[in-house]
Amino acid sequence: MSFQKRLQAHEFVVLAEMHTPKGVNISRLMTDARRIKGRIDAVVIPDMDNGIMRMSAIAGGVLMQQQGVEAIIHTYCRDRNRMALQGDILAAHVLGIQNLIVAHSEEMSQGDHSDAKTVADLDEIGLLGAIRQLQAGRDLAGFDLDGIPSFTVGCTIAPCADAAELEAELAVAARKIEAGAMFVITPPVFDLSHFATQLPQFKKLGVPVIPTVFLLKSLAIAQYIANSEPGAHISDELTRRIRKSSDREQEGIQIAGETVAALKTMTEGVMIQTLGWEHKLPAILDIAGI
Amino acid sequence: MITAERKPLEELIEYIRPYRRILLVGCNECVTVCAAGGRKEVGLLASGLQMALLKAGASIEVREHTLERQCDPEYVEELVPMLDGVDAVMSMACGCGVQEVARRFKNKPVYPALNTKFMGASERQGVWAERCMGCGNCLLGETGGICPIARCAKQLMNGPCGGSTNGHCEIGDDVDCAWALIWERLKELGQQDRYVEIAPAKDWRAGKGAGPRKIIREDLAE
Repeated sequence: MSFQKRLQAHEFVVLAEMHTPKGVNISRLMTDARRIKGRIDAVVIPDMDNGIMRMSAIAGGVLMQQQGVEAIIHTYCRDRNRMALQGDILAAHVLGIQNLIVAHSEEMSQGDHSDAKTVADLDEIGLLGAIRQLQAGRDLAGFDLDGIPSFTVGCTIAPCADAAELEAELAVAARKIEAGAMFVITPPVFDLSHFATQLPQFKKLGVPVIPTVFLLKSLAIAQYIANSEPGAHISDELTRRIRKSSDREQEGIQIAGETVAALKTMTEGVMIQTLGWEHKLPAILDIAGI
Repeated sequence: MITAERKPLEELIEYIRPYRRILLVGCNECVTVCAAGGRKEVGLLASGLQMALLKAGASIEVREHTLERQCDPEYVEELVPMLDGVDAVMSMACGCGVQEVARRFKNKPVYPALNTKFMGASERQGVWAERCMGCGNCLLGETGGICPIARCAKQLMNGPCGGSTNGHCEIGDDVDCAWALIWERLKELGQQDRYVEIAPAKDWRAGKGAGPRKIIREDLAE
């Protein structure tokens, strides 16, 4: 069953994020995709929205489709104007990609091409509107399209430091949904009880909620996130668990798998983020019972 | 200077329609020079607004004042005694002045009467043209004193595009090709060698690439 059909049927969806290479060596991406084929519903391919120049998400999405793995690709506003965005969206449809996530993009100065010029012709809500208009058969200038694309479109909610930030972010998310987003990817869950307190607010958005499960690859990463992002809610208990483990890598995998398993009864899906450790996805899925 | 043009009267009337008394504030700097928002324009707009509203069966009191410089907190302070009983402020300064007034008087709605256009120079009486985009890393020394960023429609850094014809830009015959101007100027200066030098991809960090910019002069900052 496709990602779209599972969402519509309120079936739990399992997504995994995989990055395209910085270069043209796709062997690792291909191997990682083959490892999880048939075990997840779709692979999410980010573009350069995190500020790192890499192979574009369209190519990554097409490679997934060629492997028989459904793809969801990121699209974002920092680097392309409305013409380039629309052109790429039409191309994505023709190349078999049926799902898009309109993503936030890292500020140019924070990326690896900090000297580049920011485009930012549209914002995320404007891009969602453009996708909706393309699906209605017209481009942003009002001209009719010869052949109309269709997509399942999602949006993201940024990590929030506190309740006030979350409220503001939810207001933006509501506008994104009004503009056409059909599901929402929420920030990483490290504390299930805290997430349970936020979940009713996410559910009020009225679209499937897909939280991120982030693989803590090391104690240092857990501590870094705990210190730099208080809104992430990495508890002392969690860092202690990793520190005391005789196999910290395995402990991170265990935590991710347990989180996925717990979310199965709470949300409409999960998106597993492993940031370069995609080869660990099968182990996470094993623990999660998927 | 920063150039600006007044917004259409209809748009301004929509801004002020809910109010009974407004303060209309001009600026004696750039917008006076480009005849958009100085003392004279404040007087004209005040009359225009009142007449338009009277015609529509409404009325409004417009207080008028023109500051020496609206982008400077020291001068904006002058407005304090004039704001008593005023429902809203309409600024006839550039966007910098509007924001300075809005920052100072947080409880008053502040509306722009002008559309701020560009940093430019006067070509002849009544004509101003764009000259600078504030990229933060001036290259006029390499381009014969003519800016390809502000004056080339495509912001090309290495000579003209194929749309340059007889010194004109493909946009229209009334637009000079910046690179044709640069070439002529470099020839006059005997600096043709500069023309063939290949400019690397521009570093935009000094411009808007790293977000809103700020200059801090340690020797002057308090």
